[in-house]
Amino acid sequence: MEDRLLVSAPPHVRGGDDTQSIMLRVIIALTPALLVGFWRFGLPTLMITAVSVGSCVFFEWGYRRLARKSCTLGDYSAVVTGLLLSMTLSPAVPLWLPLIGGFFAIVVVKQLYGGLGKNFMNPALAARCFLFSWAALMNSWVSPRGVDAVSSATPLSVMKGMALPAESPMDCFLGLRAGCIGEISAAALLLGGAYLLLTKVIRPHIPLSYLLTVAVLTFLFPRGNERLTWMLYQLLSGGLLLGAVFMATDYVTSPGTDRGRVLYGIGCGVITVVIRYFGSYPEGVSFSILIMNLLVWLLDKWTTPRAFGYKKEANT
Amino acid sequence: MNPGKIFKDGLLTNNPVLVQLLGMCSTMAITTSLFNGLGMGLSVTVILCCCNVCISLLRKLIPSTVRIAVYVVIIAGFVTIVDLLLQAFLPALSESLGVFIPLIVVNCIIIGRAEAFASRHSVGEALLDGLAQGLGYTAVLVIMSVVRELLGSGSFGAGVFNGGKGWQLFPAGYACSYLTLPFGGFMTLGCLIALVQFLRSKKGEAEK
Amino acid sequence: MLTKLISISLSAILVENFIFSKFLGICPFLGVSKKMDTALCMGLAVTFVMTLASAVCWGVNLLLVRLELAYMQTLAFILVIASLVQFVELFLRKKSPALYRSLGIYLPLITTNCAVLGVVLLNVQESYGFLESVVYGITGGLGFLLAITLFSGVRERLDYSAEVPECFEGFPIALITAGLIALAFMGFSGLKMV
Repeated sequence: MEDRLLVSAPPHVRGGDDTQSIMLRVIIALTPALLVGFWRFGLPTLMITAVSVGSCVFFEWGYRRLARKSCTLGDYSAVVTGLLLSMTLSPAVPLWLPLIGGFFAIVVVKQLYGGLGKNFMNPALAARCFLFSWAALMNSWVSPRGVDAVSSATPLSVMKGMALPAESPMDCFLGLRAGCIGEISAAALLLGGAYLLLTKVIRPHIPLSYLLTVAVLTFLFPRGNERLTWMLYQLLSGGLLLGAVFMATDYVTSPGTDRGRVLYGIGCGVITVVIRYFGSYPEGVSFSILIMNLLVWLLDKWTTPRAFGYKKEANT
Repeated sequence: MNPGKIFKDGLLTNNPVLVQLLGMCSTMAITTSLFNGLGMGLSVTVILCCCNVCISLLRKLIPSTVRIAVYVVIIAGFVTIVDLLLQAFLPALSESLGVFIPLIVVNCIIIGRAEAFASRHSVGEALLDGLAQGLGYTAVLVIMSVVRELLGSGSFGAGVFNGGKGWQLFPAGYACSYLTLPFGGFMTLGCLIALVQFLRSKKGEAEK
Repeated sequence: MLTKLISISLSAILVENFIFSKFLGICPFLGVSKKMDTALCMGLAVTFVMTLASAVCWGVNLLLVRLELAYMQTLAFILVIASLVQFVELFLRKKSPALYRSLGIYLPLITTNCAVLGVVLLNVQESYGFLESVVYGITGGLGFLLAITLFSGVRERLDYSAEVPECFEGFPIALITAGLIALAFMGFSGLKMV
C-alpha cells in the first residue's frame, strides 16, 4: 500500500505508517471543524456530509468493481475526499450537488488516472471548482445559528468590496460567521492542524509558507483599510485555513521536498491573494491550490537533490 | 472505390474527428449549441466538397513540390467565399462562429483530405469523399453540441427549431454551465473518443 | 496606453489563454506535448512566429484596407504566415543549425497552427494598432508556451504513474487532463489588475 503514495522524485522522507492510519488521523483532525459546522448550521449540513461521503465511497467501490480492480475502500481515502468536499460546500446546497461532486472527484479526477497516488489534482478541490457550474446554488449562504446578522453575506464577499466585515475577528476565529460548512471556525481547523502536525501526518512547510505569504501580501496591500485588521480578516475568512492545512498538504498532489513545499506554499499564497483582489471569484484558495497542483512536477524537478548524471540515467 | 465504402469511412471507420483526430480546435470551440455545430459542420462540408473537386481536377497540373501552397490558396479562396456568403445571408451564424469561420483555412481535415485523397482520385470520388468526410465531421459536431447544449444550458435546438427558440427542457439554473465553457469542450470530446475506442476494442474482441 | 498593453498581456496569458479559453492551437498542443523538451521548443517557435506574424500582418492589413481588398484578408494572411515560416526555416538553417535541428520538424507544422492565424485575425477584429498587435502576438504566444509546458509536465508525470483504463488511453485522457487544467485556469476568469 505504501508504494501507492510515492509518485514524486526521491528522496521520500515519510513515516512508516500506511495509508489507512494516515487517513484515519486526517478524519480525526477534520472532526472538530465538522462538528462546529453541524452545530452552527444544523441538520442539513449533516445530510450534505453524509451524501458527499456516501457518494465518494459508492463511486470508488462501483468504479473499482466495474474496472475489475482491487477494492480500495479500506484505505479510507474516499471517505476523506467526501468529508473534504462537503466541508467546502455552502450549508444551503441541495443534496444532489455533493452527489455529482463525489462522482467527479472520485471517477474523473482520481480513478481515471488509476486511483490514489496517480491523480495529479486534488480530487475534492477539483470537484468543488467543478460544482461552481451551479454558481447560484454554490453562492447562496445562510447565517449560522447564534448570529443575528441582517445579511448572510460571507466576510470574504464583503471584503471583495474593500470593506471590513461586520463580524469581529473573534467571531471569525470561533466560527460565528457565514461560510462553507467546514471553514467557518479557524479555531477548530487550527486544532485539527496541530493534531496532524503532532502526529507527523503533515509537515509544517506548506501551511506555514502559504499562510505567511497571504499575511505578508495582505499586510502590505491593505486596500485602504487598517493593515493589521485587514490582514487578520483575510487570514481568518474564506477557506484559507482549511485549504492551507488540509488541502494543500495532500501527499499525492504536493511536492516531495521541503524546499519544493515552501515554494508551493508561497505560490498558493500569491495566487490566492491575486484572485481575491483582482479575480471575479470571491475566493481564490481552491483555484490557487489546483493551479499549484499543475506545477508540482516542476517544483520536484527543481528542488530534488540530484547526483551528477542522474537525469541521464533516468532517461535511458 | 465504391461509394458505400467512402461513406462508411467518412462517417464511421475513418471519421475525421473521432478516428483521424483532426480538426480538434473547431470541434471543441464552437459546439456550445446545435445551431453553431450544425452551421459549422455544413460550412466545412461545403468547403471540403469544393476543395476536393477543385484539387482533384487540377491534380495532374499541380507540381508536387509546391502542392501544399497551392492547396492552401485554393482552400483559402473557398473559405473566403463561404465567409462572405455567411456574412451576407446568415449574419447570426457568422457572428456566433466569429473567427472560427476564417480559421477553417487551417482546419487539418481539409488539407488532410486534399493530400490523402483528392490528389489521388477522380473528381467523382473526391466529391463523394468530401461529402462523406464533411458529414462525418458534422455528425460529431452535432453529437457534441446536443450534449453540451442539453446538459450545459438545459435547452435543445435554440436557434434551429421551434421558430428559433428551441426547447428549454429544464431550467438553466439546474444545468451544468461549465459544460458550455472550454472545460466542457475538452471533457465531452475526451469522453466521446473514449467511447469510440471502447466500441472499437469491443468489436475487435468480437471479431477475434 | 501602458494599462491597455498590460490588460492585453494579462488577458492573453492567463484569463483568455489561447489554449484553455480560446481553443486555438489545439493540434500541436495535443500532438507535441508528450515530451517536455520538444514541447518547450514548439512553444518558443510558436511564440516567435506569432509575434512576427502579428507585426507583418498588421502592415499587410493596412495595405489591403488601403487597396479596398479587405475581403482578401484570410488568403493574404495565410500566405504571409506560410512564407514567414519558410523564411524562419531558411534563416535558422543558415544561422543556427543547432536550433534548426531541434525545431526542424515542428517548423512547417506552425503554418497550420490556428493560434498563429487566429492571433492575426483577432488583431484585425479588435482593430489593434501596431504596438498592441505585437504585444498581443508575444503574450498570446507566451500563453501558448505556458499551456503546453504545464501540460507536457503533467503528462510526463502521468506517463510514469497513471494506470488509465484502456479506452481512455492516448487522446481521451489527454483531453480530460487538458479539461482539468482548463478548470483550474478558470480561477483567473475576470482577472483585472487595473
